[in-house]
Amino acid sequence: MHSELQAQLAFHLTGNRPGAGLEVVAGLGLHPALFAGYRDLTKLRYDFPLVLVQNATDRGFVQCLSAIVDGVVHEIAQGDDGERLTRHLLRLEQEIRVLMAEGASGALSALWEKAAGRLAARGDDLLKDSLNRASTALKIDGKVVDCSSSMPADLINHAWASVQEKKASKFREDLARLTQKLSDILQVDRVRSKAGQSAESLKASVGASHGEDFDFQTMSRLLTKSSPKATLPESRRRRIESLLSVLKSQRFFAVQGSVDKRGAGEKTHSFVFEQCTAALAAYRERMPEAIELAKAVAIAGLEIEGEYNEAKHDAFFKEFDAAGLDERDLAMFPDYLVLISAEKLQGVENDKLMEVFSAGLPVKILVQTDDLLEALPAGDAHLAIGVRSKQLASMALGLNEVYVLQSSGSNLFQFRDRILKGIAYAGPALFSVFSGSTGKAADLPPYLTAAAAMESRVFPAFTYDPSAGADWASRFYLEGNPQVDRDWPVQSFAYEDAELQKIPQDLVFTLVDFVACDQRYARHFARVPQAKWNASMVPVGECLAGDTQSLSEKIPCLLMVDRDDVLHKVIVDDKLIQEARRCREMWHSLQELGGIHNSHAERLLARERKVWEERQQHEVAVAPKPAAAAPAATPAAPVATADAAAMPAPAEPEQEKSSDEPYIETPRCTSCDECTQINNVMFGYDANKQASVVNPDAGTYRQLVEAAESCQVSIIHPGKPRNPNEAGLEELIKRAEPFL
Amino acid sequence: MTMTATQCLLQMYDEHYDLEDYQSGVPRWCTGCGDNAILAAVQRLCRDENLRPEKTAFISGIGCSSRFPHYMKTYGFHGIHGRALPIAEGVKMARPDLHVFVNTGDGDCCSIGAAHWIHAIRYNMNLTLMLHDNQIYGLTKMQASPTSPLGTKSNTTPRGSYLEALNPLSVTLGVQNVSFVAQAVDWIPEMLYDIIKAAYHHKGFSFIRIVQRCPEWLPEMFEPWMHDPNRILVLNHENGLQVSASLAKVYKNQQAHDPSDLNRAREIASNLDPIPVGILYRNPDVPRYEEVRHAGQMRSTDLIEKGLNAEFDKFTVWPQETEAQTQPVM
Repeated sequence: MHSELQAQLAFHLTGNRPGAGLEVVAGLGLHPALFAGYRDLTKLRYDFPLVLVQNATDRGFVQCLSAIVDGVVHEIAQGDDGERLTRHLLRLEQEIRVLMAEGASGALSALWEKAAGRLAARGDDLLKDSLNRASTALKIDGKVVDCSSSMPADLINHAWASVQEKKASKFREDLARLTQKLSDILQVDRVRSKAGQSAESLKASVGASHGEDFDFQTMSRLLTKSSPKATLPESRRRRIESLLSVLKSQRFFAVQGSVDKRGAGEKTHSFVFEQCTAALAAYRERMPEAIELAKAVAIAGLEIEGEYNEAKHDAFFKEFDAAGLDERDLAMFPDYLVLISAEKLQGVENDKLMEVFSAGLPVKILVQTDDLLEALPAGDAHLAIGVRSKQLASMALGLNEVYVLQSSGSNLFQFRDRILKGIAYAGPALFSVFSGSTGKAADLPPYLTAAAAMESRVFPAFTYDPSAGADWASRFYLEGNPQVDRDWPVQSFAYEDAELQKIPQDLVFTLVDFVACDQRYARHFARVPQAKWNASMVPVGECLAGDTQSLSEKIPCLLMVDRDDVLHKVIVDDKLIQEARRCREMWHSLQELGGIHNSHAERLLARERKVWEERQQHEVAVAPKPAAAAPAATPAAPVATADAAAMPAPAEPEQEKSSDEPYIETPRCTSCDECTQINNVMFGYDANKQASVVNPDAGTYRQLVEAAESCQVSIIHPGKPRNPNEAGLEELIKRAEPFL
Repeated sequence: MTMTATQCLLQMYDEHYDLEDYQSGVPRWCTGCGDNAILAAVQRLCRDENLRPEKTAFISGIGCSSRFPHYMKTYGFHGIHGRALPIAEGVKMARPDLHVFVNTGDGDCCSIGAAHWIHAIRYNMNLTLMLHDNQIYGLTKMQASPTSPLGTKSNTTPRGSYLEALNPLSVTLGVQNVSFVAQAVDWIPEMLYDIIKAAYHHKGFSFIRIVQRCPEWLPEMFEPWMHDPNRILVLNHENGLQVSASLAKVYKNQQAHDPSDLNRAREIASNLDPIPVGILYRNPDVPRYEEVRHAGQMRSTDLIEKGLNAEFDKFTVWPQETEAQTQPVM
């Protein structure tokens, strides 16, 4: 027994298998025990396959097959035969999954028909009835994609296209409006011109059938005599014509019918690339064209409003260049899309990617990793798992202005809103996706490999959205990961022992499990026959949880199952355990960014708690005097009451007018002209057209009194007479009394 | 896409207007007429909101109040009797970018134009209507109008009018899709201005009834209310009218009223004395007809031709069909 333990320990520490008793795992077809339930994906209902929905906007651009089937079920399976329909439709869904697994591809409608055909061939009339009804209820169509190596590119491309289509339709609408309005200006000028009003063109405009009914000579003479003579200044006409030509010849968006009119060489620009170099070159090359178009759109807007002023605007637009184009101006143009695999992202490509990101260009880049466990040229000193994608993501995060989404292909559907956001984001975006299609190295389907990479924290999912807010708390999103608070996700697992008893056990899923799926890493594992199982073999999770020192006597082992679902224990060498620890550290720093177990926050919390506890203790010590606790809340200063507006406002500087001076309560004046009709020098209006006494000496006291009497709202106060010699003063003073 | 560069430039060289830029001619209303107060308030609004005159249109029907467009140096349409609203709706349909105001009187709106008034409320297009309600036909020299109080002596009702006056507020508040109803009196210019301003900012059909004096034909009508501020009930609310401190000193009879409360608004509307002044009802969520119908479609030559042809086709007599119909029966 002792020697066996030594052999196991030796394997764990060195990776060598010195003696018998440790078996090679290669060829045994072992999988981590948690995979036991996922042998046949076609039997499961899960997110895949996905349907890239045609003509859909917003988040509906991609839907999962199960949801579509559920929708159809919900629509048709209402009556007594609801259960039958539901059952049949679920069979249909499974048949489509089988078709996909066999390598079929194409549109949903085609696959649906094919699967229905296969089912119908071996079913009864009721089944045929169900299938027929389901087919009529299916309203959605689009390409069906399974979780495969081509899926990420298909999905991102589809999302990109749906966002661009929205942009394009907005642009087409604007373009139609601008060209129409500009043409209208020219048209009006043409109609008003001499040529436009000539007898010939008048005749032409009436049409053939009534050409003889009018005297066009007279009509022309009348029109030329009566219509305004002003025509468009030549410079404006030229400007409008050149605007129209720029707008009509733009190549950024396809406009209906434009393809026929132009030669083949003048097609609309393409914006999808397979290299950053090409995308960057295209962006630079098209820049002058883009500036020209943005300028034309801006000038056209001004022209249409009749606001274009040569003195003001000519100089401005002359200097208008790339520097004048801001993010919002660029937002009208299509974004560039680069679909590239991580292997190709080396050397120049990597530099260009960096250039795109640091310049903040509107380029969306999908970097697809197919193999996280590839051997690095540097050799075997480090395992360096997934190092490329780590570099890429941290570089992009470091630039601060790049929208970053990292996710396994298996979870892209879950992040569909975030994909759309990234594509709609005004700057560059990086989508780093692990497809799970490692090829021959693993015998798992890509979906499981991809999901395992995320579950094991080897390829954690996160998004960084610079437009979401100013701080990391609003920008960084980590919640998409399973059990995000923990180091490793914990799953419950149960097996049957030799006595047929159920043994439940919680299993953590770690990097070791992920690596165990890959044949190339078989040498890091050794199977221990059941006879030699011993107490020193502890689960990897437990091993990782403890600190390194105390574990010398413990050997990490993994529960795995073979093709027949028989449980095996496999011990793991230390290199992988080290790698798992590094992976966990990496995950910790991501957690900190995501605000989970954030060290700054925890320190601050500890400090505050300490302060709080001290204060509590202090208060307890001081407490015995009951008087101290009483008047905590002193009555607040007089609070402004709700009806403050209704209260007299003492602060308002009310000018106390002496009753000797004539005045008008101007704010109450209704501009009715009564007083100004009496004397428009004495009374005058202010900028709000409300009256005041402008010059009391410009008229007689009689006029003041008459104005006061005639004022509709009685706001004129005539004061005391200014000229003691005015006739009839006595009577006037009496009449003025009510208005003093 | 919003044309950011353009907007930026427009702001850079923004024109600022004075009251005079909106004044056109000397009003031919009688001196002392309440119309002057409304005109001054509207001109102030145009200036303060910096409305571009060429982007503003005043539409009216017939009556003293309907002379309004003549005195505004903007676009205007002095329409036919009772038809201010259909014209205004047409303008708004064709040019949703314009600020459209409607000035109408108690005869124009509540008598001959009553049907259009009801339906304008339902359409809820983004218009601002000012009902100059002086409760008498002034332009034709004193005949009773639908809003003349019972017993009003006029040339058509020498023994006093026989019918209860129509209440424009409660009528408006009773129609589906009503979205903004307010009442002002011409002799408190500050509140008048504030209410017109709130109406202008409301997105939808805003209906302001302005109680207006006619010094010529009903000089005594509002004397009691003018000289007793307590007979004005000021409706204040944080979402409604907010009265300045100096005005609050005079008008002490105030009541908090939440303009989203339709039932309370209807109650207030049916009170004739004291006269309620303020925003009775406001609901910005009612759909607007011009948006429901996607107004402002580009009028390209093709579209116009298509539309004309469609209209002409309604009256076209197809020769073949006519022949077939007139074939003698053998």
